[in-house]
Amino acid sequence: MIDARAERLARLIVEYSLGLETGEVFRIDGAAESLALVVPVYEQALEAGAHPYTQMSADGAAEALLRDGSDAQITYLPATAGEEIEALDALFTIWSDVNTKALSGVDPARQQLLLDSRQELSKRRTERIFSGELKWCGTLFPANAHAQDAGMSLRAYEEFVYGACHVLGEEDAAAHWRATSAALKARAEELEAVSELHILGPDTDLCVRVEGRTWVAADGCLNMPDGEVFTSPLEDSTRGEIRYTFPATFQGREVEDVRLRFEGGRVVSAEAARGAGYLKSVLELDGADVLGEVAFGLNYEIDRFTRNILFDEKIGGTMHLALGASFPMTGGVNTAPIHWDMICDLREDGEVYADGELIWRAGRFLHEPGGA
Amino acid sequence: MDARLERMADVLVEHSLRVGEGDAVLVAGPLGASEFAVAMQERVIVAGGHPYVRVVPEQLEEALMRLGSSEQLDWVNPTVRRLYETVDCYAALIAPENTCALAATAPEAATRRRRAQQPLQDILERREQAGELRSVVTAVPTHGLAQEADMSVRDYTNLVAAAGWLEGDDPVGEWRTFRERALALAERLNGVGRVRIVAEGTDLELDVGGRTWVPADGTQNFPDGEIYTAPIEDSTSGTIRFPHATIIDGRRIGGISLTFEQGVVVDASAERGEADLLALLDTDDGARRVGELAFGLNERIEVFTGEPLFDEKIAGTVHVALGSAYPECGGTNTSALHWDLVCDLREAGHVELDGELAHGGGRFGEDWF
Repeated sequence: MIDARAERLARLIVEYSLGLETGEVFRIDGAAESLALVVPVYEQALEAGAHPYTQMSADGAAEALLRDGSDAQITYLPATAGEEIEALDALFTIWSDVNTKALSGVDPARQQLLLDSRQELSKRRTERIFSGELKWCGTLFPANAHAQDAGMSLRAYEEFVYGACHVLGEEDAAAHWRATSAALKARAEELEAVSELHILGPDTDLCVRVEGRTWVAADGCLNMPDGEVFTSPLEDSTRGEIRYTFPATFQGREVEDVRLRFEGGRVVSAEAARGAGYLKSVLELDGADVLGEVAFGLNYEIDRFTRNILFDEKIGGTMHLALGASFPMTGGVNTAPIHWDMICDLREDGEVYADGELIWRAGRFLHEPGGA
Repeated sequence: MDARLERMADVLVEHSLRVGEGDAVLVAGPLGASEFAVAMQERVIVAGGHPYVRVVPEQLEEALMRLGSSEQLDWVNPTVRRLYETVDCYAALIAPENTCALAATAPEAATRRRRAQQPLQDILERREQAGELRSVVTAVPTHGLAQEADMSVRDYTNLVAAAGWLEGDDPVGEWRTFRERALALAERLNGVGRVRIVAEGTDLELDVGGRTWVPADGTQNFPDGEIYTAPIEDSTSGTIRFPHATIIDGRRIGGISLTFEQGVVVDASAERGEADLLALLDTDDGARRVGELAFGLNERIEVFTGEPLFDEKIAGTVHVALGSAYPECGGTNTSALHWDLVCDLREAGHVELDGELAHGGGRFGEDWF
């Protein structure tokens, strides 16, 4: 039942992404679907000297609560919840659904109520992650439901997922990610000298200012797989238009062929071939009409759209420009109740200019970072 | 899910745990019991409680025993401790996929783990005694349990349904009626001083004078049906034999024979798994003493399954537990172990209470029960 690829992924997570150490209290969040990864991660964590335990979601439990629970029951937090966040030294989240649409029939207002009641907890968790007190990594286990979303067989999807993590074969995955980390950091450093990016692509002609902002190398510590560099643009700078070629998915909904026009940093017109009403309702939320992120997807093992943002935002040769909340560690200041990543495919005939100089064409940077 | 198991979830929430408005309810078991745990969750929601489902892959315990250092085996999860300190109700589900999952692990690891987790058990025990917690242990049919009983899971479900009065419309009513009958028995047993158990390879005497007999009516175990007490700690003497195999920490131990002097096991043998038996007796000082003496009273359980929750309830059996005693009985023995061992009196065995033949041919005399 245990797959050698899952074993290698477990080792990579424990040794490279989290760097677990003796005595660390470590929770693994998973589900029955991801057992083949939960078990080797638990074993590797034991070998690292940590104190692992699991929080497994029981299939149907969330639906039952949202369907039948009163408001008081939905918003109830066990006495342990707050203390547990403080007690953890490391947390590993495995996304794996048995059915990604299982909550489709649930009243969205009740879902929002549940999210709101957990907001303080998730805020505190995020704080501890970004202050370095809590190690965290999120990954996805290749289960049938996710393969189905991607329109793939399970076998092909497993190869896709494990390939993107570089654990498909015998290669030294940690060495790969260390090298990737160095390259991404060099790229990020180089981008920090840039004031303005000008993105050209099909129906896309957009300028964003990034001067003074910090670029972050996403190198397999917080997400696995990983492979992007990102920052948050100056909030009032964005101008021009962009067409997102891939469907934009958010909170289980899909909006197709999104076209946005920006002036002075804000969306001034929004169109979509499908789901335009939902798009417009989201844009009305405070801060949702401002870009919170601009990023280059640089994982070239991820070569297709699979309807899962963990992978889609890293597709090698794409850029994603997210609506809503920016990342404080980049220097961004936009706040919003959402962060909606939308992906722009630049692999065919995209170009990016940095302060007037062509740096990217057809999905690739023209030069290695630091190179000529 | 089988309609009778749905009814079992009803009974557990209504009768065993008596979940009320605002009660925090922990439902914990192996991942394989998720479906049943969610069925309980649904009923807790209807009852106005706050369910917390905690399902753990059963492979992890084996990994911990195999790979864990002393520090890791000794670690007590602070979140679990806090849960045990705060919940109002707790349902523990027995539902192994493989009853021998721990068979290859070192017995010392299991013993060490049991000792380390003792404070957690103490929290539950203390809060239950103080009336702050209602808890129940139950078994959810799995292939693992069924295979151990030489049954299909379908037949095992029939057994659970019969044993819990889940086939009829009013299992709670049946358990209340049972309670009335068992209370009358308890009243008579409370007047008894000396117990003598005689069967093949068995002649054991214990003092129970002054101790309290408690009827088990489906509130703390489900299914249920027994009456138990804690013998005077230094009173047990003689020999008792347990022919049926039992599983503990994934190991089968069968044909156990124990000889007691002044309450302590002085000689122990087993036809199978003797080394494991001896290791268990060395868990701690209290593990060599009898913490519980009980009679099985459930006439709807007739066959041994290898799962003590059922076996100890078989009408016509008597069981003693090595290890910790129940304070509600007046018992004082403490141990990290509480290991129920069942002696079948149905074929050829009897029990004398203060010299009177009170239990023979597998049942109490008419005037007793």
